[in-house]
Amino acid sequence: MNFVVPNFAPAYAELFVAAMGVVILLVAVFLKQSARPFAYLASLATLLGAAFITWYTMDGQVSYTFGNMYIDDLMGDVLKLMVYFAMAVTLLYSRGYLTDRKMDRPEYFVLATFATLGMMVMISANHLLTVYVGLEMLSLSLYALVAFDRDSARSTEAAMKYFVLGALASGLLLYGMSMVYGATGSLELSGIAQAIYHQAGNRTVLLFGLVFLMAGIAFKLGVVPFHMWVPDVYHGAPTAVTLLISTAPKLAAFAMTMRLLVNGLFELADQWQAMLMFLAIGSIVLGNIAAVAQSNIKRMLAYSGISHMGFMLLGLLSGVVDGDSRLALNAYGSAMFYAVVYVLMSLAAFGMVILLSRAGFEAENIDDFKGLNKRSPWFAAMMMFVMFSMAGVPFFVGFFAKLAVLQAAVAAGYVWLAVLAVMMSLIGAFYYLRVVKVMYFDDPLDASPISASADLKLVLSANGLAIAVFGLMPSQLIESCVAALAGSF
Amino acid sequence: MDFKTFVFYMFATIMILASLRVITARNPVHAALFLVLAFFTAGGIWMLLEAEFLAITLVMVYVGAVMVLFLFVVMMLDINLDRIREGFWSYLPLGAAIGLLMVAEMVIVLGGSYFGLDSMPEPPAAAAGYSNTRELGRLLYTEYVYPFELASLVLLVAMVAAVALTLRHRKGTKSVNPSQQIAVKRNDRVRMVSMPTEKE
Amino acid sequence: MLENYFPVLIFILVGLAFGCVPIVLGRLAGPHRPDAEKLSPYECGFEPFEDARIKFDVRYYLIAILFILFDLEIAFLFPWATILKEIAATEGLRLFGFFEMMVFLGILLIGYIWVWKKGALEWE
Repeated sequence: MNFVVPNFAPAYAELFVAAMGVVILLVAVFLKQSARPFAYLASLATLLGAAFITWYTMDGQVSYTFGNMYIDDLMGDVLKLMVYFAMAVTLLYSRGYLTDRKMDRPEYFVLATFATLGMMVMISANHLLTVYVGLEMLSLSLYALVAFDRDSARSTEAAMKYFVLGALASGLLLYGMSMVYGATGSLELSGIAQAIYHQAGNRTVLLFGLVFLMAGIAFKLGVVPFHMWVPDVYHGAPTAVTLLISTAPKLAAFAMTMRLLVNGLFELADQWQAMLMFLAIGSIVLGNIAAVAQSNIKRMLAYSGISHMGFMLLGLLSGVVDGDSRLALNAYGSAMFYAVVYVLMSLAAFGMVILLSRAGFEAENIDDFKGLNKRSPWFAAMMMFVMFSMAGVPFFVGFFAKLAVLQAAVAAGYVWLAVLAVMMSLIGAFYYLRVVKVMYFDDPLDASPISASADLKLVLSANGLAIAVFGLMPSQLIESCVAALAGSF
Repeated sequence: MDFKTFVFYMFATIMILASLRVITARNPVHAALFLVLAFFTAGGIWMLLEAEFLAITLVMVYVGAVMVLFLFVVMMLDINLDRIREGFWSYLPLGAAIGLLMVAEMVIVLGGSYFGLDSMPEPPAAAAGYSNTRELGRLLYTEYVYPFELASLVLLVAMVAAVALTLRHRKGTKSVNPSQQIAVKRNDRVRMVSMPTEKE
Repeated sequence: MLENYFPVLIFILVGLAFGCVPIVLGRLAGPHRPDAEKLSPYECGFEPFEDARIKFDVRYYLIAILFILFDLEIAFLFPWATILKEIAATEGLRLFGFFEMMVFLGILLIGYIWVWKKGALEWE
C-alpha cells in the first residue's frame, strides 16, 4: 500500500472550524441559561480564529493535500477571509432579530458554522467529490436555516421549495460529474484538464456532462433560467437567513464556478462561454425588469441579486480570450471583485431591513422605508449609499465593480453585451432610486425612532461607509483581486 | 446471449417497468412499493457488475431504511391526493416535451457509439480472491479520507437539522420519570403538620 | 465471483414464484364475483368513520430519520473492516486506519450524545 498520511497543515482552518462546530453543539446542550449567548459568541470566535489561521498561513504558494483533493492557493485564502468576514457581519446583524423572534437557539449558530465549513470546503476543492460534499454541507445547513422559524408557514414553504429544487440541482450536478468522469476517467480537476488536453474522452459526452454541470452551477448562483427559487426563498426566509443566503454563499459559488470551469474544463471554454453568455443576458434582463414590479423589498433585492450575478458572469465569460493571459486575469479579477462588492452591498441592504424590523414587525415592504430621513437621517444616508452603489452611480464601489466587468467584456470584444448590460442597469437604477425617493420625499408611516442595539448600528454604519469609501480606491482593490487569482490561473 | 446478459436484461426490464409505475401509479403506496422493486433490481444490476458491497448497501439503506420511512409517510399521512394531481394536465405537454428531449439526448450520448466496447474496452477480469468491498475500502480509507470525514459532518448536520426543525417539548404531558419516582423520599410526599388540638 | 451468487438468484426466483403462484392460482380457480359491498372496506360491521390517514406526530419521523443516519454510519464500517489489517500493516500508517474511523464514529457519537441530551429520544 503506497499511501502516506496526508499533510494536514494547509487545512488547519477547516479542521478548526469543524472542531469548533462540534464543540459548540456539545457544550451548548449542557449549558442551561447561557447556551444562547455562548453559541453566538463561540461561533463569532470560530470565525475570528479561522481568520487568524488563514491569515497566518497565507503564503501565496499553491499547495495540494489529501491526495490533491484539497487546494490551498491565494484565491482560496482571500475568498475564505471574505467568507469569515461576511458570516461574522451576518451573525452580528442577526443577533437582535433572532432574539426578538426566539430563533437564537444554539442550533442556529451551529448550522451557520457548518455552512461556513461547507463554503470553505467548496472554495478549496480540487476534486469533483469535495466540490459536491462541500456544496451539500452548505445546502443542508441553509435548507434547515430557511425553515428555522418553525411556526411560520411562509418560511416552511420557502424551505420546501428551496429543498426540492436544490436537491434536483444537486442531482443534475452529480449527473454531470459522472459524465465528465465517464469521459475523462478522472475526478480530480487538474486530471480532468489534462485528460481533455490529451484528447482523451469523447467531446460529445463531455459536452453533455458540461450542460448538467452548468445547470447545477446556475442553480446555486441563482441565475436565469434557474432562478425561480431566489425570490420565493429570499421572501419567505426569516430576514436574518435571507441575509446569510444572499452573501457568503455567493463567494463559495463563485469559487466553485472558477474551479470547475476554469481549472477543470478550460478546454471546453468555447462552449461554456456561450452558455454563460446566455445565463448572463437572461439574468441581467429578467432580474432588472422583474425587480421594477416588486413592492416587497426582499423580493426586489432578490431580483436585483439575480441581475448582479448576471454581471458577475459577464466578467467570468470575458476571461476566455485567445492567448492573452493578462486580459483573462483581469476579467476573472473583475468577476471576483464584483462578487466581493455584491456581498458587501447585500450585507448592508439586508442589514437595513433588519434594522427597521423589530419584535412582531418585519420591515419588508418598500413602503416601510417611507420617510426614513425624518426618522433617522444617518441611516437614510447609509441606505442611500447602498442603493446608489447597487445602481452603479459613479464613485460608489458598485460603480467601479460594474465598470471593471464592462471593461473586461469590451476588452474581450463583446461590446454589444456591454451596451445591453448598461441599458439594463439604467432600468435597474429606477427601482433603486425609488427606494431613495420614498426615504427622502414621503411621509413616514410610522414615526417611531429606530430601536436597535448599538452593535448593529455601529457595524451597519461601518458597512455603509465602506461602500462609499472603497469607491475612492477601487483600482487597488481590483488589483488585489487580480493578484489573488494570478497564482492559480 | 449468455446467461449473465439474460439476467441483466431481466433486471433492466423489471427496473424500467417498475420506475414507470412509480410515476404513473395512482396510489402512492403502490408507487412506493414499485420504487422498492426498482431499488432491488438496481441492486441486482450492481451485483452483476461485481459491486457486491454497493448492491447490499443499496438494499440495506434504501429499501431497509429510506423506503420504510417513505411508506410510513404515504400510508399514514392525510395527503389530499386530488390536490396534488391538480394542474397535472396543464403541465404535462411542457414536462413531457422536456422529458422526451432529455431521453433522446441520453440515448444519443449514452448509446453504444460513445460507450460501446470499441471506445471503452471491457476491463480485464478480476483475479481470483478479488473483493470489491476490499478495493472500495482501500480507496475510501486512504485516498478519500478527506471526503470520508466530511461525510460524517454532513450526517451530523442532517441530524442537527432534523432535530432542530421537528423537536418540540410538549407541556402538560402526564409522563413520569421512573428514576425520580423510585428516588422519592417520604418527605417529598407527606408533610407532617403539628396543629394545636382543637377544642370544642 | 458471480457464480457464488447463483443460488441467491434461484432463491429470489423461487421466492417470487412462491408469492405469485398462489395468487394467480386462486384468481384462476376460485369464483370471482365482486360487487360494491364486497369491495368496500370492512370495519367490524360499522360503516368506516373516517379516512385511515390522519395527521401523525412528527416525532415518528424524527426517530426514523435518526435511524437512517445511524444505518448509513454502519454501512461505512464494512469496507473498513476488510481493509483495516492491511492499513495497519503498512509502515507509517500503523494507527491511521484506526483513528480515521474513530474520528468518523466520534463525530456521530457526539451527535448521538447531543440528540440524547436534547431529549429527542424521549417519548413524553
